[in-house]
Amino acid sequence: MRNTARGLLAGLVTGLAASGVLLGVPPAMAATVGPVTDDIGVVRIAKGAPIQIGGYWVLSGPDTALGLDERRGVEIAMKDAGDSLLGHPLKLVAEDDGCNAEGGQTAATKLAANPQIVIVLGPACSSSNTPAAPILWQAGITDIDTAATAPALTAANRKPEYDGLVRTVFSDADQGKADAAYIFNVLKARRAVAMHDGSPYAQQLAAVFAANFKQLGGEVLSTEAVAPTDVDMHPVLTRIASEKPDVLYLPMFIAATAQILRQAKDTSGLEHTHMFGGSSLAAADFIEAAGPAVVGFQIGYPDLSPEAMGQGYPKFVEEYKKAYGEGPISGFHANAYDAATMAFKAIQAVAKTDDAGNLYIGRKALRDAVFATKFEGIAGPVACDPHGQCSQLKAAVFEFTSADPKTYGIGKNPKKVYPPSH
Amino acid sequence: MSATTLTLRRFNAVDVILWLLRIGVLLIVVIGTLATLIKARYTIAQWLDFVMFGLTIGSIYAQIALGYTMVYGVLRLINFAHGDIVMTGAFAGYFAAAGFDRSGLLESRPVLAMAGILLVAVLTSTCIAVLTERIAYRPFRRVQGLAPLICAIGVSFFLEQTFRGLFGSSVKSYPDPSWLRAAFVVFGFRIPRVDVLVIGLALVFMALLYMVVQRTRMGTAMRAVAEDAEAAALMGIDVNRVIVFTFMLGGVMAGIAGVFYAFLYKQVYFFMGFTPGIKAFGAAVLGGIGSIPGAMLGGFFLGMVESVGPTLFLDGIGIPAPYQLRDLIAFTLLIMVLIFRPQGILGERMARKRA
Amino acid sequence: MPTSLAILPRRRQPATPLQRTLGVGLVFGVIGVYLAAVGLLPMLNKRSVIVDTIGLGDATMIAIGLGAGAMAARHAHTRGGATLHGLLAGAVAGAMAAALAVVMQLVSLQSIFIQLSPALFTMLTLGLGLAGGAAVLIGGGAAAGLAGALLRDSPPGGRRIVLAGLGTVVVAGVFQELIQLVLQNAGALTTSASEFFYTWEGLSQQGAAAIFVIAAIIAGLNAMVQRRAAGRVAASERRVRLRRLLRAGILLLLLVCFPLLAGSYIGQVLMLVGLYILMGMGLNLEVGLAGLLDLGFVAFFAVGAYTTALLTADSAHALAALSYWEAMPIAVLLSICVGVIFGIPVLGVRGDYLAVATMGLGEIVRVIVTSDFAAPLLGGAQGVLQIPKPRIGATVLATPVALFYLTLAASAVAAYVAWRLENSRLGRAWMALRDDEDVAQALGVNLIRSKLLAYGLGAAFAGLGGSIFAVMLSSVYPSSFQLLISINVLALIIVGGMGSLPGVVVGSLALIGLPELLREFGEYRYLFYGAVLVIMMRLKPEGLWPSEVRRRELHAGDEAEALDAGADLLPAGQHASSAAE
Repeated sequence: MRNTARGLLAGLVTGLAASGVLLGVPPAMAATVGPVTDDIGVVRIAKGAPIQIGGYWVLSGPDTALGLDERRGVEIAMKDAGDSLLGHPLKLVAEDDGCNAEGGQTAATKLAANPQIVIVLGPACSSSNTPAAPILWQAGITDIDTAATAPALTAANRKPEYDGLVRTVFSDADQGKADAAYIFNVLKARRAVAMHDGSPYAQQLAAVFAANFKQLGGEVLSTEAVAPTDVDMHPVLTRIASEKPDVLYLPMFIAATAQILRQAKDTSGLEHTHMFGGSSLAAADFIEAAGPAVVGFQIGYPDLSPEAMGQGYPKFVEEYKKAYGEGPISGFHANAYDAATMAFKAIQAVAKTDDAGNLYIGRKALRDAVFATKFEGIAGPVACDPHGQCSQLKAAVFEFTSADPKTYGIGKNPKKVYPPSH
Repeated sequence: MSATTLTLRRFNAVDVILWLLRIGVLLIVVIGTLATLIKARYTIAQWLDFVMFGLTIGSIYAQIALGYTMVYGVLRLINFAHGDIVMTGAFAGYFAAAGFDRSGLLESRPVLAMAGILLVAVLTSTCIAVLTERIAYRPFRRVQGLAPLICAIGVSFFLEQTFRGLFGSSVKSYPDPSWLRAAFVVFGFRIPRVDVLVIGLALVFMALLYMVVQRTRMGTAMRAVAEDAEAAALMGIDVNRVIVFTFMLGGVMAGIAGVFYAFLYKQVYFFMGFTPGIKAFGAAVLGGIGSIPGAMLGGFFLGMVESVGPTLFLDGIGIPAPYQLRDLIAFTLLIMVLIFRPQGILGERMARKRA
Repeated sequence: MPTSLAILPRRRQPATPLQRTLGVGLVFGVIGVYLAAVGLLPMLNKRSVIVDTIGLGDATMIAIGLGAGAMAARHAHTRGGATLHGLLAGAVAGAMAAALAVVMQLVSLQSIFIQLSPALFTMLTLGLGLAGGAAVLIGGGAAAGLAGALLRDSPPGGRRIVLAGLGTVVVAGVFQELIQLVLQNAGALTTSASEFFYTWEGLSQQGAAAIFVIAAIIAGLNAMVQRRAAGRVAASERRVRLRRLLRAGILLLLLVCFPLLAGSYIGQVLMLVGLYILMGMGLNLEVGLAGLLDLGFVAFFAVGAYTTALLTADSAHALAALSYWEAMPIAVLLSICVGVIFGIPVLGVRGDYLAVATMGLGEIVRVIVTSDFAAPLLGGAQGVLQIPKPRIGATVLATPVALFYLTLAASAVAAYVAWRLENSRLGRAWMALRDDEDVAQALGVNLIRSKLLAYGLGAAFAGLGGSIFAVMLSSVYPSSFQLLISINVLALIIVGGMGSLPGVVVGSLALIGLPELLREFGEYRYLFYGAVLVIMMRLKPEGLWPSEVRRRELHAGDEAEALDAGADLLPAGQHASSAAE
């Protein structure tokens, strides 16, 4: 025991001495490599070596479909680019972030530690993005977020450590607002109860909805919450029934929402209450979990109909089906595809090749090029505001039409009910 | 209790804090209840609904709690994996139910299909319970201290993750036959048929179990081992067989509870057993661990408190989203019982042996 | 049932060597089939050991064959018998895998067992079709079993050399990404070494061969040196201790300097390891020394994290704008207070009941931090964001490596405190408490004081850990404070050795560090935990690096048990099996 303690003390002394040496070194600094000079660093890619694109999404656990769908979107974008760029092969280095802050931190650190990573795509979850983006930007890496929708990430007052973050996905602020407008104006509902499951995503959306609904003149009777693993929803539903709401807004995850839908059917007092869910419910798993109660259930979701989407979308879906043997499994594949396209365009804009065929990319220049990239993506136009918001929500409402999970497909089941097609 | 009181008497500060805790919880309960009742936001029918929902989930807790209480009685071991054994039953039942559903049998011959589902579930959960005992618990029969409990935690993880690996992590949905969907109307109150069925059958099975423990030779042996294992061994009882039998009984109840739980809440996934397992252990303690009627009573009581409690206690004092605090109420109840009445509602003789 | 209630325990016939060998083969085969059915084998194969030659899943299958052979060889009496038994056991294990392939070919089970995919079939049969694949599986199993038996029977020197070579190749192949990164950062010489051993994708065949030879030579030399040393006069107690100290010192020094060389990712992983070491030492005071099994340990971690967050963050929920160095002591103090408050109600609760009571308390804390009810104060589901990194003078401890050294410093202080506590009057009181509460009280140990101190001091460690955790993430979310954290910490002190300080380090490296390095197998992390807990409890309950006291105690326990084994409740077969292990 004594030995160990002595050893530890020795270690402490060495460690402190070593850290003194280390701390003086700033992580990213101005550099000139080959033909490129950049304020925060340059990536050199030797002739024939791959251009490494980082990615981090949730690839394990209950939300896997969400992250996997985005990863597939990126993979298809790479395939469409011919798996190469400027004569170099493209390589995706994907990490799993588990959809939580710790996972995002570790994944981002791992990506940032690899000096060959040019740019990073992802993640799917805001709680992972919040600690990860500063780590990447500190290493000079730009992060194009594919599905983390928290308003704070692209707010006007975001901190400078988020300067390297842009996103090709809309903000929850817009989703909640659009849902409130639909429920107030189209459904003509005046009394609403909002509900969440304690996840940052659902809680935020419920809060944004409540604020907007009140602003429109509606009444928010209460905000209820459950735990995501709760199964007995009858009591909380009975409680809600006593408030006699017109609408129950529940932007939660699959298991809990499915329980609520099923149990609302046999809770007296909720017969005339309209249920309205969020975009995380667009999945075959949800239809399976909710059973017959799903028919008629509406969700607020980005408009993926051909006339609202960019022109490339139907072709993308075909490619997706061909590559993975199933249609898109979640909602943000198109945003991820656009993020990858955006990255490729920006790299092409700033990369320089020397006579020997080596490629050089300035990190600051790349970040600025990403912000300046404008194009017609498959999820709609991409153009960034100064705070990194590059995509706007085209809100729509979808309604489930069948309880058979095999019929799942955005546009069929659930089918678009608003805005009316022309 | 005597040792504790003896220890505590010397330290008034601790006593005072415990009393404050008692009074605090009591105050919240009383004030909250009064405030809620005065507000009169809920109709009588709604209160009855709360009670009914509580009894339904309580009947599930009660059945799971029986497994805990029997094993604890015989082995002084918290079978931490018991909740997961419930899960294995529910999973096996799911595959049977899905098969019957596809062949139409579930709709046309409800009793036969139900018996089939229960049989598959019970066989699976019983086998796993007995295997668990053999592989993970028997080597610790004579080991005091933390080893058995830690091993039990390991088994719990292992079972969950094995099922996740074998069957995937997505939520599977139990079929919903039409004969379960209807509801009885009694004096104008609507009672879902599935609730009645679950509570009724749970009572029947628990009564059967009670008979087994009280009337059969094996049951008598079980009670003898629970009383004093050494003496029972000296009397010529094969303690090992009694223990295996206990795990079997627990496994049978777990399988039944798993199927009922799944028919009530329709969802089956690998982690589904954990929380009900912990709660049911709480119920077993609540009723007095080692006591079979106690476990039943504890289960129903816990279910009621969980269902009625958040509204009754917290609504009145204006706490937002009270059902988010449901687990807080359940665990507070458990801790209060552990502190102030470790022998539980019905337990007496088990009180100081371990706790 | 009632009539079959046996009065006397039945005695089984002892198994013949052949039966045992078949049994060993079956058990190993079942392990292989299990790993395939839960999807671990194909998953493992995504990492290659040697590029385009052998994957980690293939390596696992070979290891199963080797293990079966080695185990079976134990039961044989003669050398030839051993090889025969090894061959047979390996073949049986291989046949089980082949049987799985046959079943998969005959019926499609994938709608139930989702992992039994065509990809698994291809992997099992090596793409040779059913007949060819089955033959290869059985033959390969037999060969591996034979090799295992031969290895077991070979002289220890040779065995060590082969195992060292194989082990090094596997490590070098599996962690190729990291090793390459380190080698390429370190200098020109190592860069060319990296290019010799590795290709873009991983370990090359020539690299593997070279590494095997190098490792084998080193192991051989080492063995020679050791044999010569043993030939001389037996080293004195003092010498042995000195050598052990030296070894521990070198190990720690490596650990300390490693992140500097290896960069921020290793820094991040080691920082997590350090955090868990910190918490492990805290829980060790409670469980290892005082015997209070606490499953609500995460609560103190949460208190430390939230206190730091609320006192330093640049957010709407902040209560103050202190610097980290001001907030950290407050966080630790508050954790101690919460620890004591936590301890008071459960003072009279013992053993298993205590585990459940503390788990309940931990869950209560988690429910509260998540809830809307406490959201105005604690941020609810949105957590508390924008926690600044600590600064020393003008430098900000922003990189994982810098934070690793902060964690290391904290752990060193904590280790010193823990070590002093252990040998103090209080430490002895705790141990008395652990062994028997009533006796301890009779001996004059103040139960209440020592219990509350155990909770409070244990909580201080966790609070410190939480405080560092908050600045590491720069944000605190309620979802970080799950029951699983408590169980992780408990598992690591058990694996390391209860009550042992170096054990905590070993446990944390094994249970936190290793899974972090193998992130893509994250889904199987808790399967591994569960298996490790059960296996450790059965085979090595004192842990990988037990404390001296504990080791002595457990051995004394063995003797006592052996003494009264005659009159106990265990059946005869029980002893045979436990002796065999």
